Amino acid sequence: MPTTSRTRGAIASLTGWSARGIIGVVLLVFVLFFGIPLVWLILASAKSGHALNVENPFSLGSWHDFADNWSQLFDFQHGAVGTWVKNSAVYSAGALIITLVASIPAGYALALTEFKLRRVLLIITLVVMLIPNTALILPVFLELNVVHLIGNPFSVILPMSFYPFGVYLAYIYFSTSIPRDLLSAARIDGCNEFQVFTKVALPLASPIVALVGFFNFVQNWNNFFLPFVMLPSSKGYPIQVGLTSLLASTPAFNPSSAGSQSIQLPTLALATIVSVLPVLLVFVFSQRFLVRGMTAGGIKE
Amino acid sequence: MTPNTSDGSAVGAGTRRRSALAALLRRRPSTRVMPYIFSAPYAILMIAFGLLPALYALYLSFTKKDGSGFAGVENYTNVMTDFRFVPAVEHVSFYIAIWLVSLIVLVTFLALVVHSLGIKRVRTGLRTIFYLPGALAGASSVLLWLFLLDPTASPVKWVLKFLGMNSFLEVVQPSHMPLIFAIVAFWAGAGGWIVIMYGALNNISDEVMEAARIDGAGPIQLALKIQIPMIRKWITYMVIISLATGVQLFVEPQFLSQATTAVIPNDYSLNQLAYQYAFKQNDFHGASAISILLLVVALALSSIFVARGGLFDKE
Amino acid sequence: MYGNPHARSPRVRAGLLGGAAAMSLVLALSGCSSDNATTTPAPSDTTMAGPPADNGKPITVWVDSDRQAAADAYTAAYPNDPVTVEVYDGGANGSGTFRTKMQLFDQAGSGWPDVVFSTQNNDAAWASQSQGGKDPYAAVLNNGLIPDSTLSGFAQGALDPCTVDGKVYCLRNDLAQDVLWYNKSLMDQFGYDLPTTWEEYQALGDKVATEHPGYIIGAQGDAFTPEIYFWSGKCEANHITGATSVTVNTDSTECKRVASMLDDLLANGTVPNISVFSPEFVQTYTDKVLMMPGPAWYGGALFQNPDNVNTPAGQMAVAAPLPWAGEDAVTGDVGGATWFISSHSENPGLAAKFATFVTTADDYQVDLAPGFPAFKAAEDKWLTKQDASGYYAESLQPLVDAGGMIWSGWGSGIFSQEAIWAKVMTPGVTAGKKLVDLLPDWQKAISDQAKVDGYTVN
Repeated sequence: MPTTSRTRGAIASLTGWSARGIIGVVLLVFVLFFGIPLVWLILASAKSGHALNVENPFSLGSWHDFADNWSQLFDFQHGAVGTWVKNSAVYSAGALIITLVASIPAGYALALTEFKLRRVLLIITLVVMLIPNTALILPVFLELNVVHLIGNPFSVILPMSFYPFGVYLAYIYFSTSIPRDLLSAARIDGCNEFQVFTKVALPLASPIVALVGFFNFVQNWNNFFLPFVMLPSSKGYPIQVGLTSLLASTPAFNPSSAGSQSIQLPTLALATIVSVLPVLLVFVFSQRFLVRGMTAGGIKE
Repeated sequence: MTPNTSDGSAVGAGTRRRSALAALLRRRPSTRVMPYIFSAPYAILMIAFGLLPALYALYLSFTKKDGSGFAGVENYTNVMTDFRFVPAVEHVSFYIAIWLVSLIVLVTFLALVVHSLGIKRVRTGLRTIFYLPGALAGASSVLLWLFLLDPTASPVKWVLKFLGMNSFLEVVQPSHMPLIFAIVAFWAGAGGWIVIMYGALNNISDEVMEAARIDGAGPIQLALKIQIPMIRKWITYMVIISLATGVQLFVEPQFLSQATTAVIPNDYSLNQLAYQYAFKQNDFHGASAISILLLVVALALSSIFVARGGLFDKE
Repeated sequence: MYGNPHARSPRVRAGLLGGAAAMSLVLALSGCSSDNATTTPAPSDTTMAGPPADNGKPITVWVDSDRQAAADAYTAAYPNDPVTVEVYDGGANGSGTFRTKMQLFDQAGSGWPDVVFSTQNNDAAWASQSQGGKDPYAAVLNNGLIPDSTLSGFAQGALDPCTVDGKVYCLRNDLAQDVLWYNKSLMDQFGYDLPTTWEEYQALGDKVATEHPGYIIGAQGDAFTPEIYFWSGKCEANHITGATSVTVNTDSTECKRVASMLDDLLANGTVPNISVFSPEFVQTYTDKVLMMPGPAWYGGALFQNPDNVNTPAGQMAVAAPLPWAGEDAVTGDVGGATWFISSHSENPGLAAKFATFVTTADDYQVDLAPGFPAFKAAEDKWLTKQDASGYYAESLQPLVDAGGMIWSGWGSGIFSQEAIWAKVMTPGVTAGKKLVDLLPDWQKAISDQAKVDGYTVN
């Protein structure tokens, strides 16, 4: 829409160079704040341990050191890192699907329909979100143990699919972005409730589906505690739990670890990057949905 | 897109007729049943992994450690007289004071600024840079902060030295910790909220913005009078969640404890203390008591914001 | 939900160890302390006629990634034994994984592994006790499960961390006795004699500060500092007297003399408040380490490590631990891993066979293990291997001798002394306070933490 860039460009013309300058500086400061540690991490993955300790933090590494770190990482426990990444993908994607199926319709129902338990559900959801996980992990463990799911991927996927944060996001989105008149019009036109959801609300909901899906995927990917408790075998670890095994083999953090399996700090930096890459990819992919469709909803009266 | 006010003044009689019809239609069977069906999968998950465990934790907090029955408030008094409890409360309070204010102010500000920029790639690029740190979680960051906080090897060593700190131990002193945690938490957490607020700002129709601009509103007035009020619910949500996250401070002191070899202790925050009770002292009852206390505080503070921010209202 | 990452209070942090080659040389020697007094760890309550037989049932073994070599050595030696190996983090960095997992298995009523390796040496404190009304995880070893002849083959004091109320609950994988590392070339170059007491060590520090400022004779910024200086000074800060009782008294002459020595040497810069595994240490003190009291594994972690000070060959040597004037020399210990056998095991015979192999067999302890063996017979061979490597200026015999000198007045409780030191003392020193003045705070912190962990404190 042409008005969009006009509105945005208007800010520049309205306030002149000095304000632009200040805004620019402020943005630069924040870009450096968020970005410098990441740059350091990337450079660190291509250095030797000694260089990391001694040389300039921004010195470039070498391909040779990078290759060393790479092979050290993927030789660890006979390629366990690859298995861990694959496990993370399976768990996160599995939980993502169930989350979306559960959370989006629930958010829609809470926002745009009438039913008796609406407030109750909202309140219970809020309360449960506010309880520290420490208290909940043991009961969940006991529950899953009763149904003999400990050690099974579902012991991780199911709890991760419970995503109240996403339900609230969907709730807020649906209640602020979809005009009720639109739904009324659809009902009058003869749609039943299911059709109202699938034909009217859902097409307008692609931004929130992307948002909830993305955040859920990342939270699942980064979840340490749940898989740590539920999965006894190293072969089933996701990458986050696997990283602690790597940490335990890093003499810098654990001097009693010495041997052919030792991990150097730069290798750990590389492991960090490897564990983040999928998240980055999903982020870039979902950004498209975030922007598109946000401005395309609604009706003109 | 039509602005979402329930003010029907801009709409005519046709809408009123439609609304009456709609009210009739709402009483159809499918209208009554479908909401339950829509919420059912989520409700099942919530009962299994949220409500039942929470009730179990509540039950544990009121029963004796050795399993012999009702304990009254014994677990609670036990926990509150622990020598680590009061320091942990102080730590978390200072942390929240710094963290909450900076998060809300800076996130809203950055989201508005990024949203107002002209070039799409710049907007996307900035959002990506701001978000990326949040993807580094837990074990990955141990290494990162170990180096970032060391004035001899850090990429920001000139900042640390400028502030008068020349050795790692000087940086991680107890008095600096609330600020350090707030910085770490902001670094990892702001990006996600910026993305959400950005999306929320996208929801505001350009016509509204244009109309206000024509009326002579400058960018600051646009922000204060139009944009922020229209994303009120999102900001309220951010406040509530950040409050809860702040009260539940765990991740930052935990991995900084590892990075500093326990100079930053592993019982710095209340949530960490709960963890200690559960897994180091084998006292799940005490852990549940602490968790319930944290819940009560978070609930009390949140309900203020829920009420003022109209989170449960329908628009 | 449930997204809490899990980093725990760390135990120790070291600089980077070098490559595999250095590893196999560094600490893989053993010295046979045949001259040392042998000790039976505890009188055995012989209720069993002998070790139980292997009944053929499979066992599960938990190791950390570095000890996978031990499991591989076993399966190479006994390929027909049904052993399943699982890898976990070994409890490193104070993660508490071992304890947490066993608690969860207790709750579930099943799933315990038969043999577990732990990098920490204080797990017997909880594994020997009933947790939440359930049976203790660790099996008693000295009532016949492991023969007395094997148990007495460990170095003196090696099984102390495994012993609670006279019963032995684990086998020691390696020793980490403290010795006095020194750079012989630098000492000769500066014309100094090796100190023979702590008092002489302190005097040497004053000399070095005036004559060769910038050189150091120790470091006190690590969390395990008390295990080097205070343990060997016979300070009664961690005197575990029973399964749940401890005596803490830092107001003694012993503790004060160590504290004031460290204060003095901090003030003149020869024992700085810095961790030997920090980038700062590597940058500032490479080539400046004159002496360094520390555990046996410093050899590989600091001196032969390209990522740490990386001292050239032929310079480093080891001297016996120092006594305080007029007393016998004792020393401390920083680490040393342990192997446990489950009391729930369905095949204790095979579990015992496995545990015995990995702690005593040459196949692992001499040939592959990076640490200093706790089993006496392996120690001599370790020494031969180390001396033949040509890295050290002199024989490492003093290191082997020190293996038998660990003071038994410092125990291994559930609570982490290192975490307490790091939380209370290190920030205090950083803020400019003196250790001597901080001793009461140290005592209070230890007492508070011990009480929370269920100990009665005297």
